[in-house]
Amino acid sequence: MKKTSLFASASLLGLGLVMSAAGISQADAAANCIKGDRKAPYTLGWANIYSVPTWMKQTQGTIEAEVEQLKKEGLVDKLVVTDAQGDSNVQIQQIQSMIDADVDAIILIAGSSTAPARVLADACAKGIAIINFDSLVDSNDVTAKVNTDSAQWGEQATKFMIDALGGKGKILILNGPAGVSVSDDRRAGGEALLKANPDIQILAETNTAYNVAPAQEAVTSLLFANPEIDGILSFGGALSAGAVLALDKQGREQVPITGENARQFLELWKEKGLKSWATMQPNWLGAFAAYTAVQALEGKDVPAFVKVPLPIIDNSNIDEYLARAKDFPADGYIYSPYDRELFAKLLAQQ
Amino acid sequence: MSDTSLASQSGTALYLAIQRKRNIGVRSLFLVVLAFLVAYGVLFPGLFTATGFAKFTQSWFPLALVAMAQAILMLTGGISLAIGALVSLGAVVAATTMTGPLGVTGGTLLVCVVGLGIGAATGLIVVKLRLPAIVVTLAGSFIIAGAALLVLPRPGGAIPDWLSNSLAGNTPAAFGVLVVIVLAWKLYLATPLGLSLYAAGEHPVGAYRSGVPVDAARIAAYAISGLLCTGAGLFVAAQTGSGDPIIGNSFTLNSIAAAVLGGIGFLGGQGTMRGALAGSLLLSLMISVMFFLGFTPVAQYVAQGLIIIGAVALPQFRMRAK
Repeated sequence: MKKTSLFASASLLGLGLVMSAAGISQADAAANCIKGDRKAPYTLGWANIYSVPTWMKQTQGTIEAEVEQLKKEGLVDKLVVTDAQGDSNVQIQQIQSMIDADVDAIILIAGSSTAPARVLADACAKGIAIINFDSLVDSNDVTAKVNTDSAQWGEQATKFMIDALGGKGKILILNGPAGVSVSDDRRAGGEALLKANPDIQILAETNTAYNVAPAQEAVTSLLFANPEIDGILSFGGALSAGAVLALDKQGREQVPITGENARQFLELWKEKGLKSWATMQPNWLGAFAAYTAVQALEGKDVPAFVKVPLPIIDNSNIDEYLARAKDFPADGYIYSPYDRELFAKLLAQQ
Repeated sequence: MSDTSLASQSGTALYLAIQRKRNIGVRSLFLVVLAFLVAYGVLFPGLFTATGFAKFTQSWFPLALVAMAQAILMLTGGISLAIGALVSLGAVVAATTMTGPLGVTGGTLLVCVVGLGIGAATGLIVVKLRLPAIVVTLAGSFIIAGAALLVLPRPGGAIPDWLSNSLAGNTPAAFGVLVVIVLAWKLYLATPLGLSLYAAGEHPVGAYRSGVPVDAARIAAYAISGLLCTGAGLFVAAQTGSGDPIIGNSFTLNSIAAAVLGGIGFLGGQGTMRGALAGSLLLSLMISVMFFLGFTPVAQYVAQGLIIIGAVALPQFRMRAK
């Protein structure tokens, strides 16, 4: 899903270049979907696909905080929130309701990469700013798409692992569920480096849900089969926490491991003194989407695709993250700090 | 002459009396639905424009179809856990064939054949092999969901724009189709198989001994149910302009919720199609009305549960009080 939408947005960028070259005579370089007839204070609609997971709750928290700030600035007067409870059909109906209620902007995590296309085209035609982040749609009828790069995630994790082992060693690879685009894209991102380093021997690969328990179980059985393991290339934070716990329970020595910003993993990292590396899908993508929507409505040009660089956690800055741990839920994610300056910089990139 | 007119007169009286009796169980649901409709109209006056009405009925349409699909089966004492998977399959078959050599006609035919065929096959297995419907359709849901993923592994495909715009554009075409389907259901109930439906569900043994084609009625119900599901899938594909192999997942539970809300009993032979339709309408209305009331997502979860419990429990209490 992510991969196809990345391709789509890459072609969209190309298209955008052609179009902006052709449309220089246009007086205003307004962003896609923006007609300029909507005036502050704006009503923002936040069309969530599923509000229950901790990641989503934290993301909503950043959106609410940003909206509070925008309210103080007189730019936003209302935030409407919907939760499709995982159902793409309900999400379409809720986006339709947002159009009916004439919101000024919709920020969206899509439940399906294709299903919302037609309702979004309707919204775009009405001059509603649409900012789509995290799970993207394959449609060009949005103002901007915002995401990190899953392939880069996989590539950087693999690079850390190869460097940590000095280019030689035996590793386990932990993947998320097979057939899920994020999981496939992260794994594919590391493939070229693994091919280029034949001395890195892959002992086994696992596919489990992004949860601690199944990963721990899978790694435990692999530990019995493989007495010698030099590193664990994990493509998910909960998977890493499961692997660390499995090693610990078996009394095995901890090895270099990659992961994500799950608080549990970061705390294990410190507690066990791991040599590790982690990145994240920053929750503040939500806040950034809300900010971007208002910028677009205010007539600023925003890029059709904003690629957010992956924030990196390693042994040099892990303490900074853990120092803020108490501000985050125990089963939550410690995301990198963000401010308006960062947002402006992200929007300035083309 | 006078004899027949007398017969038809008393026939009409009898018909109305039966309809009144059938409505007893769902009267309070109708009131709740009406209240929600009024509330929706007040909160969103645009509902009374052609576009507003069209968009709202389009949100409701697939749910109405799957509620009917589930209700038919529950009336015969069956149930299906494969409703959602069949919707997905219908959607991906439509999205992968209609822009190809088969065209819209061929694609529609294929969607219908797939629905009827899988439905009939499920019915044969349940009825002739005497296996529990819940087990057969659970297993079937995995097979059908897998088939949908084989047809279209990732969301994609396409539906011709003109079809999307005519079925799910700014005209209430979907509502028209629904009216036709409901009329067809009325006609079906007048056929021998349709008449047998309730009998087969309420008292299969008694019905069989009275010469009712119980097996045929039940298998036909599965086939019709399958057709309604893949038809709903076709509509979802047209509505979204593409296919998604997991788009139908939530319809399984929602179809059961709509049917039960509409007063259809799990044991067969109890309930009416108008109840199931009203149940599905309420589920769909709730989403929009709660949005316009400005409920937070958490409040929506709670309110949804309370409304469903209320709509199901109130008639029960009233019946017991009598």
